[in-house]
Amino acid sequence: MIRALAGRAAARWEPQRASRQKRDALFELATRIAAIAERSRAFEREALAEAALVESRKILRTGLELASAGAEIEAIEASFAANPAFSRADPGDALELCVTLTGLRGLLAREHPYAIMRRMSARLGIEYFDKTEAWILSRLGRRRARSEPLIVPGELPDVIRALALDPRSLELSLRTAGRELAAAALAGCPQESIDLAKPFFGRIGAAIIEDDVAHLRSRLSGDEISEAQAAFAEVVRTLAERGRLKLGEETDFIAPPAFVAALTKAVIALDDRVLKVGLRGLDGAVLAMAMQGMEPGAHDRILGVLAKRDERRLLDAIDDAAPLESRAIQEAGRELAAKLLAAAKAADRSKAASASPEALDRLTLVKDWEG
Amino acid sequence: MIQWSAELARRLICREEEKRQMAPLIRRFMELARMAGKEGYQSLESSLSERDDPLLGLGLRLVIEGLPEPALEDVLATYLVAEDRSGWPFLKACVIIEGLLALAAADEPAILARKLVAYYGADRAADVLEELEREPEEEPRAEGAT
Repeated sequence: MIRALAGRAAARWEPQRASRQKRDALFELATRIAAIAERSRAFEREALAEAALVESRKILRTGLELASAGAEIEAIEASFAANPAFSRADPGDALELCVTLTGLRGLLAREHPYAIMRRMSARLGIEYFDKTEAWILSRLGRRRARSEPLIVPGELPDVIRALALDPRSLELSLRTAGRELAAAALAGCPQESIDLAKPFFGRIGAAIIEDDVAHLRSRLSGDEISEAQAAFAEVVRTLAERGRLKLGEETDFIAPPAFVAALTKAVIALDDRVLKVGLRGLDGAVLAMAMQGMEPGAHDRILGVLAKRDERRLLDAIDDAAPLESRAIQEAGRELAAKLLAAAKAADRSKAASASPEALDRLTLVKDWEG
Repeated sequence: MIQWSAELARRLICREEEKRQMAPLIRRFMELARMAGKEGYQSLESSLSERDDPLLGLGLRLVIEGLPEPALEDVLATYLVAEDRSGWPFLKACVIIEGLLALAAADEPAILARKLVAYYGADRAADVLEELEREPEEEPRAEGAT
């Protein structure tokens, strides 16, 4: 049974009878409350006090003053209920009180401003749904930039990458966990994990997830994020046990250790000049892919011989690279090895530089690798 | 704790032949759950038609957006109360909301069906469920309901 209906007091079954003009005015009020929610989420109660100072509507001003003074929503509701001026309000004023209290409740619970807006505008009737969506879409462009990553050690980024090999499995896991738990778990993951999760929820849902992740990074402790990640992993485990997920094997997206070791040693063994010439003209995306099959020592060698501008481009390409299956990583690694081998032989012929026989052997081994 | 409301019970009262229209509606939700699992939630909007109840259309948009369950339930229930429905239109809207909440929770079709047949009442729910599970495919869509 729908709890929101079953728990509704008899008096609240009355449909709202406010005029269209009044409801239009209340829609504007709701947008103001949602805008306050955007600010107060970051700046806490100071933002509420500032908003109260400039607010002209008595109900909202009073509510904001109480909230900024530390009152909980139940106390705010009780204070309005005890005031005869509000308890005997006409339909328009009663609706204004309802919209305002709905907004304040969401605001104090630190809900996402767009969710608060959805709740408030629902009080105005179904005909305000599209207007609400249009308002939310108009706000998307004003959102702040991504937050700094906060990586909590754990396996969740790998789990998400594995789930993403079958998008339905990742979507099912995220939706079963629910947006709140998913955002708390993602708060400890790199941007790559968040970018994999966002597309399932449309433009508005994607923006909310990103905002929630940024918000939770500033509010949750490392332990709380770890707990959320463990809970998310438990959801995945349960779904897998029930046969609802198509999980790729871990080796699907991690190159074989022998290949990683061979490619790493081949890169590290090369002379700087040979490495520089070999990388010249190589597609940044291919190099970024190949680097998924190397250890950090080889990454440092490659980044060390690149010009600053190329280094930045490569780092961007790494950020943009989708999680790759082992086969694709090995293919990119073979292409890189072939380029480096050609450069080493050319340098040797021109006496510009030399590559040791060992380095040439390692490059040949990787070039001819059979995955 | 099971919550109970006399007003809710009063509004849910409708004729037996009206209640029969619930089966196609439940089957439609089972199909939506299967479709979400196979093609993703964003594909669900494409399955809507002009005959569908507006509550289903806007509810699906909120489900796709990932609105958390308490907010989703609050928003949909508020729309329902604001419309002042009763009888079959009210029951139909309750089934739609319950179905949307089950879709949002990523319930499997079989679980979703068990939640929705509860609206038939304890005496009929088991029989209807058996019927739904026996013939999962062939049933015309409910006129104006879905």
